[in-house]
Amino acid sequence: MSENVIEAQGLTKVYGDLTAVNHVSLSVEKGALYGLLGPNGSGKSTMIKMLTGQIRPTAGTATVLGIDVQKEPVHVRERVGIIPEQETPPSFLTASEYLQFVGAIRKIPDIDERAAWWFDFLDFADKKDVLCKDLSRGTRQKLMFAQAFVHTPELALIDEPLINFDPIMQHLVKDYLRDYVRAGNTIFLSTHILEVAEEICSGFAILHKGNILHAGPVADLTAEHRHLDEFFLSLVKSGSHA
Amino acid sequence: MLDLFIAMVKEEWRVHSTMFGSLSFALFPVLIFWIAFMGSFLLPLMRQALPAGELSLILHANYMMLGFMVGAFGLLGSEVMNRRFGQASLLSYSARSLPLSERFIFANFVVKDTLYYFVLWVLPLALGFLLASPFIGVPVTLPLLLALTLTLSFLSGLCAVFFLSSVYSRSKPALAVVLIILAGAAGALALITGQNPARFYPPLRLFLAFSWTGLVLSCAVIALLFCVSIWLFSPESSDATKHHRSLLVPLAKKLSIFPSPPLAAKDLIDIYRSGGMVGQTLFSFLIPLVVIWFFLSLLSGYLPAYGVLLEFALVTGVIASTMYTWITMFDTFGAYACLPVSVRTLIKSKIVSFSVLQIIPALFIAAVAVLSGQAIYLVPAVVLCLSVSFYSLGLTVWLTGLSPSVLVYDVRVMVTYLALTGAALIVLSAVVFAAPFAALGAVLLLIPAVFFARLGFAKWESREQPGF
Repeated sequence: MSENVIEAQGLTKVYGDLTAVNHVSLSVEKGALYGLLGPNGSGKSTMIKMLTGQIRPTAGTATVLGIDVQKEPVHVRERVGIIPEQETPPSFLTASEYLQFVGAIRKIPDIDERAAWWFDFLDFADKKDVLCKDLSRGTRQKLMFAQAFVHTPELALIDEPLINFDPIMQHLVKDYLRDYVRAGNTIFLSTHILEVAEEICSGFAILHKGNILHAGPVADLTAEHRHLDEFFLSLVKSGSHA
Repeated sequence: MLDLFIAMVKEEWRVHSTMFGSLSFALFPVLIFWIAFMGSFLLPLMRQALPAGELSLILHANYMMLGFMVGAFGLLGSEVMNRRFGQASLLSYSARSLPLSERFIFANFVVKDTLYYFVLWVLPLALGFLLASPFIGVPVTLPLLLALTLTLSFLSGLCAVFFLSSVYSRSKPALAVVLIILAGAAGALALITGQNPARFYPPLRLFLAFSWTGLVLSCAVIALLFCVSIWLFSPESSDATKHHRSLLVPLAKKLSIFPSPPLAAKDLIDIYRSGGMVGQTLFSFLIPLVVIWFFLSLLSGYLPAYGVLLEFALVTGVIASTMYTWITMFDTFGAYACLPVSVRTLIKSKIVSFSVLQIIPALFIAAVAVLSGQAIYLVPAVVLCLSVSFYSLGLTVWLTGLSPSVLVYDVRVMVTYLALTGAALIVLSAVVFAAPFAALGAVLLLIPAVFFARLGFAKWESREQPGF
């Protein structure tokens, strides 16, 4: 029997008059590369924030790696890797210092060696001693990517991880993500870039205006000779449940 | 010009109302009005202990400091706003996207700040005094004159900080030269006239003896300083290719006796690399305190010799507690949201960083004790200063968590803070005047400080943090 690393039941988040996420239930199996897809403002980032204990749901429950997120949010963040949607690394630390900072908080003994690997892998070793505020958006994104995976978590929740990368870097990172799940880890990926999702995800859910419109394996679409982008557009435009 | 100006005023309002809540912020001028109105009725009583000239002097000094602090915040650059609101973009930085020069925008910024803070701080105070004036036997012209001279005080603080920071941005040695010249001029004035140089502060002289010549002269000095600042103004720039030596690990090792050394080390690096260690210490701590010392020393005729020092230690303690703002301004909890860090842990680490920074007020007050010939009271003065600082910090943590700037404009928070700080200061003032060494007992303030901080940990841990 497969093991679920994420279980959400009726997750809801209300901000004043706006219901950002409306009674969403989903589960993600261990070893999946799961894509949460949706247009801008559909509630994807809010879902990731609730699943990582960054914000509290208005209603509903969630467990991540078997841990109740509401009760032990810090414990969840210890075990997972996170790339937040908008957050950038601290302005006045250098890239190298930021990874040392993450290493110290996550208690990673060989952080210097791991950091060196990431600087080489993402090709920004020449920027490691530059202040984060002076890095380009793409380089900041590389750094945020590195901090999410530097402790090799068994589950990573990553919000639009490819958005500032050039095509070469996107290719490299997509390969990395595929290999990462092949090694038995799980990735929960939020994106509105459908080609990426279709290319690398094993399962997906489409979120629109806070509601799940569809959830299932990508293979089902492939079997029906349908493309994710046309399926997505028809679903979102009609706003109906598939 | 007008469109940009109106947009900047709107933006300033939205920044404040976003940070502090629309209603709380809108009520702030009402609070100032009410304090001024009610306080005016105490003037006849206060005059018996303190001449009106000294009272107006303290008021003008406060408005000059306000100008100083507003100007200092305006010059901190985009980093504060970016860390507070994510990718914030202010009109002050729009020269990169609009066909407007940096100097033109800066000139609008100065005019906007003047009008905005006039409405926020000066007008309510003058109106409160004006409405109370018929009941306390003060001519109606006096509140109107006060509105004018307080505006000039605010502007003089604003233009002084713009001028000094423009010089600082061009050349640090030049700033040192300017400060030495200013200190020398103040000293020379004191020697020649035999009076405290603070008495020659132009807006104050204008208030005490109005003359059109004095008004023109005051305005001319302010205008000159603004023009020189705009001329010297150099847009913020950074060298994106500059490499920095790693400081985090060595600093964290030095702080290893404290909890969360990497978090505390990051705070200190933020202050150091943002230029805050020099800039903040100078503009938000030393210069305001030197101004306060000037004005407090005028009370030496009414207070015992040690009284001025210990009063000053109390005030320094309150100002030292604002160093908590220095270490919280560059990040929100959102910056730690991807890491296993709780709000409680983060606040504790900020308290550690704050404790390290308390070396500055401790050394400062010790130096003042020695230089004022009151070295015998050095230890009580330092204990008093630090105890008050940690007490105010405990209150700040409880009331504001990781957003201490809320303290300034959230009326409910501010009133609670003022009441609890004021009560402690009144008791301490009475005790130390009676027995100066009783100031050592101020260490007992650490008990409520810890109590309030613990209340704060529980309160803010249970609340969703802004900045995600």
